[in-house]
Amino acid sequence: MNAINYDAELRRAGAHATRGWRKYAFMAGRNMLGTIGLVITVAFVLAAIFANVIARFDPLEVDSAHALAAPGAKYWLGTDAFGRDVFSRIIHGARISLAVGLGSTALGGSIGVVIGLASGYLSGWVDLVFQRVIDILQALPLLVLALVMTAALGPSLQNVIIAIAIPLVPSVARVIRANTLALRELPFVEAANAIGMSQMRIVFRHILPNTLAPLIVLATAQLGSAILTEASLSFLGLGIPEPYPSWGRMLSESAAEYVRTAPWLVIFPGIAISLAVFGTNLFGDALRDILDPRQRG
Amino acid sequence: MRSMRMLGGVILSLLMASDAGFAAEKQGGVLRIYHRDSPASASIHEEATYSVNVPFMAVFNNLVIYKQDAAQNSLESIVPELATSWAWSDDRKKLTFKLHPGVKWHDGQPFTAADVKCTFDMVMGKSQQKFRKNPRKAWFDQVDNITTNGDLEVSFNLKRPQPALLALLASGYSPIYPCHVSPAQMRTHPIGTGPFKFVEFKANESIKLTRNTDYWKKGLPHLDGIEYTIIPNRSTAILGFVSGKFDMTFPTEVSIPLLKDVKTQDPKAICVVAPNNVSTNIIVNRASPPFDNPDIRMAMELALDRKAFVSILFEGQADIGGTMLPQPDGIWGMPKDMLESIPGYGSDVKANREKARKLMEKAGYGPNKHLAVKVSTRNIAVYRDPAVILIDQLKDIYIDGELDVVETANWFSKIARKDYALGLNLTGNAVDDPDQAFYENYSCNSERNYTKYCNPAIEKLFDQQSLETDLTKRKKLVWEIDKQLQEDVARPIIYHSRTGTCWQPYVKGVTVMVNSSYNGYRYENLWFDK
Amino acid sequence: MLGYIVRRLALMLITLFGISVIIFVLLRIVPGNIVDILFDAAGFVDPADKANLERELGLDTSIVVQYLHWIGGLLHGDLGYSYVSEKPALDEILPRIPITARLAGLALLFSTVIGVPLGVLSALKQGSRMDYVLRAISLSGLSLPPFWLGLLILMASVSLFGTMPIYTPNPQSFGQAVAIYCVPALAVGFRSAALVMRITRSSMLEVLRQDYIRTARAKGAPEATVNFRHALKNGMLPIITVIGIEAAFLFGGLIVTETVFNIPGIARFLVEAIRWRDYPIVQNLVMFCALIVVLANFTVDMLYAVFDPRIRYND
Repeated sequence: MNAINYDAELRRAGAHATRGWRKYAFMAGRNMLGTIGLVITVAFVLAAIFANVIARFDPLEVDSAHALAAPGAKYWLGTDAFGRDVFSRIIHGARISLAVGLGSTALGGSIGVVIGLASGYLSGWVDLVFQRVIDILQALPLLVLALVMTAALGPSLQNVIIAIAIPLVPSVARVIRANTLALRELPFVEAANAIGMSQMRIVFRHILPNTLAPLIVLATAQLGSAILTEASLSFLGLGIPEPYPSWGRMLSESAAEYVRTAPWLVIFPGIAISLAVFGTNLFGDALRDILDPRQRG
Repeated sequence: MRSMRMLGGVILSLLMASDAGFAAEKQGGVLRIYHRDSPASASIHEEATYSVNVPFMAVFNNLVIYKQDAAQNSLESIVPELATSWAWSDDRKKLTFKLHPGVKWHDGQPFTAADVKCTFDMVMGKSQQKFRKNPRKAWFDQVDNITTNGDLEVSFNLKRPQPALLALLASGYSPIYPCHVSPAQMRTHPIGTGPFKFVEFKANESIKLTRNTDYWKKGLPHLDGIEYTIIPNRSTAILGFVSGKFDMTFPTEVSIPLLKDVKTQDPKAICVVAPNNVSTNIIVNRASPPFDNPDIRMAMELALDRKAFVSILFEGQADIGGTMLPQPDGIWGMPKDMLESIPGYGSDVKANREKARKLMEKAGYGPNKHLAVKVSTRNIAVYRDPAVILIDQLKDIYIDGELDVVETANWFSKIARKDYALGLNLTGNAVDDPDQAFYENYSCNSERNYTKYCNPAIEKLFDQQSLETDLTKRKKLVWEIDKQLQEDVARPIIYHSRTGTCWQPYVKGVTVMVNSSYNGYRYENLWFDK
Repeated sequence: MLGYIVRRLALMLITLFGISVIIFVLLRIVPGNIVDILFDAAGFVDPADKANLERELGLDTSIVVQYLHWIGGLLHGDLGYSYVSEKPALDEILPRIPITARLAGLALLFSTVIGVPLGVLSALKQGSRMDYVLRAISLSGLSLPPFWLGLLILMASVSLFGTMPIYTPNPQSFGQAVAIYCVPALAVGFRSAALVMRITRSSMLEVLRQDYIRTARAKGAPEATVNFRHALKNGMLPIITVIGIEAAFLFGGLIVTETVFNIPGIARFLVEAIRWRDYPIVQNLVMFCALIVVLANFTVDMLYAVFDPRIRYND
């Protein structure tokens, strides 16, 4: 089944403009949920990039006089036990979540791509070995493996990214491998081989670009998982350490102590996490619908 | 006339009944407490946290003990337990205890003087059986050997007089262990002579004790048993207390901010706030830059705004002092004017920080050249929170602190390796006595002297106060030492925390000690008024 | 068929072996071992005592020797001793399994009972407003952090009922037992329910498009028959897959939920054991977890083979 042919649809609907922004507006209208997801994701990214401008207070500044203030005009989402503005911490937390999410997805994706390409293209014992490694990595739940790895490496931003990236590798490798196997049989690869093109060039210039669509879809799904896993790790106290304002850690012990006296400490960081994951998932779903409707669900 | 006498008699007996206390105590009931974390083992001698003392002190007896219903521990409040009496020799180098006859261990074996010798030989490392960990070996450095005279008399022979030895023996950390039970078994199924017998210890779940029906103190204990449920999440635990699932909170676990919460949710609960004799302090690595420079050390000391720490973390309810717990709860704290004469302790924070900045400038730092420093601490809230505030305060004197959170597993090795610049540390004092506080933390050879502060002149003063029997003279010496330690910026003490303990009104006989959180858990006098 | 099973079993064993090596090595590259932690509370590490303890625990031999020791013991049913409690690891792990099993079972039950019907409904009413709402709900289920959901439930229970379900091993009444297990199970199961709903929906859609459904409809078969007999039966496969995958997802959710609700199951035990560097417990728990996942996948593979003959011969 091919991708939706929007030009035909547009003409059939009587729309005159099939180019430029009208086309995208039409597509956006067709995929309402996806657009919402895109908006949320973009807001998330913007918040992360422009955190310094948007946040009204320094997220790390301690101001005991206003500790545990309820949400109001001055502190939009209230303050925590140290008097730090919750809104500012959430905005800066977007930076952390984005860094970890993108970092681990990118890292896991890169490793997965390499393994998948090698495995699918080279076959033979390389494939067998990598397959087993992938099986092993996949046999452990994401959080468990990430837990052991952060415990092994120590709590720091880089280590958390690595710890989350490794469990993401198997899915990427599997998908890339499957696609590589299929593409490898196609005539143009044979032709390239016949004219003596180097293997590396074949792989990177011809095979890889054709596996991008499912890869992007997978990556957006994994972004959501990565953000959730980082939040869980920080909640358990084994993730991003102080003083980085991680959403997960804002919900752990210290906030949980004030569950009844300061519920805003529990509600807002959780909403932030949920919204970020929700947005990326919606967007990912829409991307999948557009790029690879075979996987539609 | 007759009716007057009868009335007088009735009034008198009423007065006596309400005063007696003993007649009013009821037997029965199981005390339900929550525990804040799972102790590493059940062996008090091998552990160094009151997470072990609280549940397991009730299983044992000491030779002597701090009076359990006296809030302040002092040499005067030490009363006999397994020892019926004691006496110092004339040269004060021999302390002899006469022991109580007819005491049995929980497994039926008789208690004798040999058990006392076994216990402390093990602590001193002199016996065949060894403890896996022995944190208080140094407590008995002045003990040469222990001799027994028959089954009911034991003597400690000292190398030099040490009046404080009695204080160390009265601590919850000095229970008597049986000769016939191995240290390994004491870690998992301890046998003692105390008011409660050990039933079970399920790691991370619960600890159960039951009444010792053959307890040698007749009529005690009043309770049928004690049950600890281990709940590491403080919020869940307090919710349990407030909703009636527990009769008492874990001692010292109700932080000041949570106290209000407890009182609103459960107005009839009785809560007492007291110091727990745990000081929050900064360990300074004097061996390497930048804090090998005394100017920078002093600048850091001057930058501290201790009142701010206290107001942020304790809503004003914590004590500022030197090494020894401040008065009136502590016995050895410096007088106020003496304290405020020490640099950094005065109330003019701005002026202090001005001086600090000048010192930093002298060392080559300034508004355009900041000093980057790592502040290491453990990954627990009670360590992290003050570290965050410290970093904030150091910004004022051109120091950019970066928080370096260290996992529990690595903390002490890291410190021992001197792999830190500044560390935020908590020091618990088992006994409010300078012998314990000074030697452990400031003596050149002590393993717990993390900063490796070494001053032989001051150690001579440690010995001098340790020998001193006159309380007033000893106090003056202790104050001098404390002042000098603070002026040397050996280990700046930020504050001495205060915390709360709460219990339901029908729990009687609870006494929260004000200068130690390691000694008050024999619990033989607790009873339920319902 | 037999060849297929044998091949799968062999793969399982290799995978388990690989995991054992990885987890073993990972734990030991950690700086700081159990001995450091045990000494932590003492406030210092006495080198002589530490050396003694390491010898006693067998930590001074080489990694290979330690590994062989563990695996050898494993094959006898001897899981080693917990460093912290000094009891056999089996004694520590076994009693906790039923607790987590109950939670996991209830969570899977909720996820199936809630997820499958809603997924079917969503597929049948594709494109309608209800479909959008259900899709949004399922997506939110995947987005909500399970520990946050647990915290919210705790908060709600405290505000509404003034109390909250605190775990006790001996519930006094049936109602209390229900509260203790069902509330956390809901918190964990919500995410699984969302996943099951999505997969059910997509697989139902796939099946509904198939020709034979059109044929059945054209023949005039009642809608109910069309839906349930043909569509659902053939759509079962992906649903079974996802229930198998859930075995893995679930453990992560159980870890944080058991922490929030203070339930002494093996998921929370894993985190504690990692904090304590209690190698024997961590190793065995991770192996156990892997075993469950691998067995679940194996079962799913077998069920696939039963339902879809094409697979048996093509592998």
